[in-house]
Amino acid sequence: MAVLVRKVELSWLDRTYVWPVLKGMAVTIRHFLKQITTRPSKRYTVDYPDRKRTPAPGYRGLHELKRFEDGSIKCVACFMCAEACPARCITIESEEYGDLNRTQGFQEKRPSVFRIDMLRCIYCGMCEEACPKDAIWLRDDYEQSSYDRLSLQMGKWDLMNTYADRDRKPRIDRDPTPTVPHHSVLPEEP
Amino acid sequence: MESLASQLHLMPETFWMIAKLAIVFLGPLTLAALLTWVERRGSAMIQDRVGPNRALLFGRWRLLGLPQLAADGIKFFLKEDLVPADASPVLFWLAPLLAFLPAVLGFAIIPFGRSFTQGGHTYHLSLLDPGNGMGMLYPMAIGAVAVYGILTAAWSSNNKWSILGGMRSSAQMVSYEISMSLAVVAVFMRAGAYDPEQIIAAQAGLWNVAPQVLGFLAFFVCMFAETNRLPFDFAEGESEIVAGFHTEYGSMKFALLQLAEYLHLVTAAALIVTLYFGGWRVPGLADPPVLLSVAAFGAKLVFFCWVFIWVRWTLPRFRFDQLMFLGWKVLLPLSLGNLLLQAWLMRRGW
Repeated sequence: MAVLVRKVELSWLDRTYVWPVLKGMAVTIRHFLKQITTRPSKRYTVDYPDRKRTPAPGYRGLHELKRFEDGSIKCVACFMCAEACPARCITIESEEYGDLNRTQGFQEKRPSVFRIDMLRCIYCGMCEEACPKDAIWLRDDYEQSSYDRLSLQMGKWDLMNTYADRDRKPRIDRDPTPTVPHHSVLPEEP
Repeated sequence: MESLASQLHLMPETFWMIAKLAIVFLGPLTLAALLTWVERRGSAMIQDRVGPNRALLFGRWRLLGLPQLAADGIKFFLKEDLVPADASPVLFWLAPLLAFLPAVLGFAIIPFGRSFTQGGHTYHLSLLDPGNGMGMLYPMAIGAVAVYGILTAAWSSNNKWSILGGMRSSAQMVSYEISMSLAVVAVFMRAGAYDPEQIIAAQAGLWNVAPQVLGFLAFFVCMFAETNRLPFDFAEGESEIVAGFHTEYGSMKFALLQLAEYLHLVTAAALIVTLYFGGWRVPGLADPPVLLSVAAFGAKLVFFCWVFIWVRWTLPRFRFDQLMFLGWKVLLPLSLGNLLLQAWLMRRGW
């Protein structure tokens, strides 16, 4: 696209160069006075380690695996998040639990392994979008750093407790109901 | 004063000389060091940033980022002192001194307060007493020598960028020296003398800046060129010639070159204050007390140092041909016109 360059006719005052410089200096001193009289907590720059910024609502930070009140995981190991993940950072292994398969004829599933490779995750929130049970949330913790790579491979219990202290929930490390031994066929009634 | 001198078994004159030497050497040096801090924090404030504020004194006191100065100084001392293999070793070593010394020497003539008489002695508040025959020609001459520091640094580095930066800055300083001198000649004419004491005495009622606005403007702009400050810092130029004349310099040599730049700034501000803003004069007071006169000089000096920094963060760098255009076709006619105008006015008896 051709751009029409319009030559601006400067007034004699502008051509002296002195007056525009004075105007420019007025602009800079205004910024200087405004910034120097602003309290550090009100400035654009957040003095990071001393002051922390509250992320906006909808911020996609560290994940949390949600739980029911009894402490059982909401995730049903449907693998939708793992499929949706563009970075392929979610690893799920499922297991059966409960006695519904004995009484109702179907199985309840939950993940026995739910691992997110935080070094791979791009925090896009696709897993949250894909989840039919709202079992994975991306919340506002943005301070994830570690001295080694292994501690950023977060497992099921890491992910369930990521916000436990903040939400005043107990940290848990076991499922309330035990898993059942693997069977695909109903055992015979004795 | 005399009791203090006798306690140290010194003549009052000797004691006073040593005291002045300490003030004139350490004062601008301290101010130059502080100016590096002002430049960094001030520019940050101008650009709505925060600036360096993380250095802590003894790991505890932040002091508005002032410990950064000490941290930088210690760092410069501890860095390896590198000399490029193909550089001229003697000149490379000499160049920071050549840049540093004229910057310190220039301040010696500036009266930083009113002369006073005590116990039969007249004490002058400038390192070189008035009536020494050099007057304001001395800082001009010393300022012209500053070109050699930059040019020696550029030449001895044996580096294309350095030599380009050195050539540019020496061409610029030489071209602006003419209009600067012409502007100062008008001041000499008005005062009828070139001794700073008499120039300040001539500004008793009205500071020189009012009758000689054009001369002041020319001198002020030339001072930016002489001190190699933005918008005329052609000795450097990150996008074109890396760091210019001090590309090859590191450690304490670099610190000296940097300090010399700020000392030049202090001296330039002192010259502006002495020539155009009445030196130590206080408006409305014909004969201010000595301490007040020193304070007035200090306040004016600090203000003009701040103006140098302020302008630096307002204007971008000129193009080199624009610089030459401004120097030869605008400032030279301006200061020459001012000289003729003042001469005509004096002939008419105004």
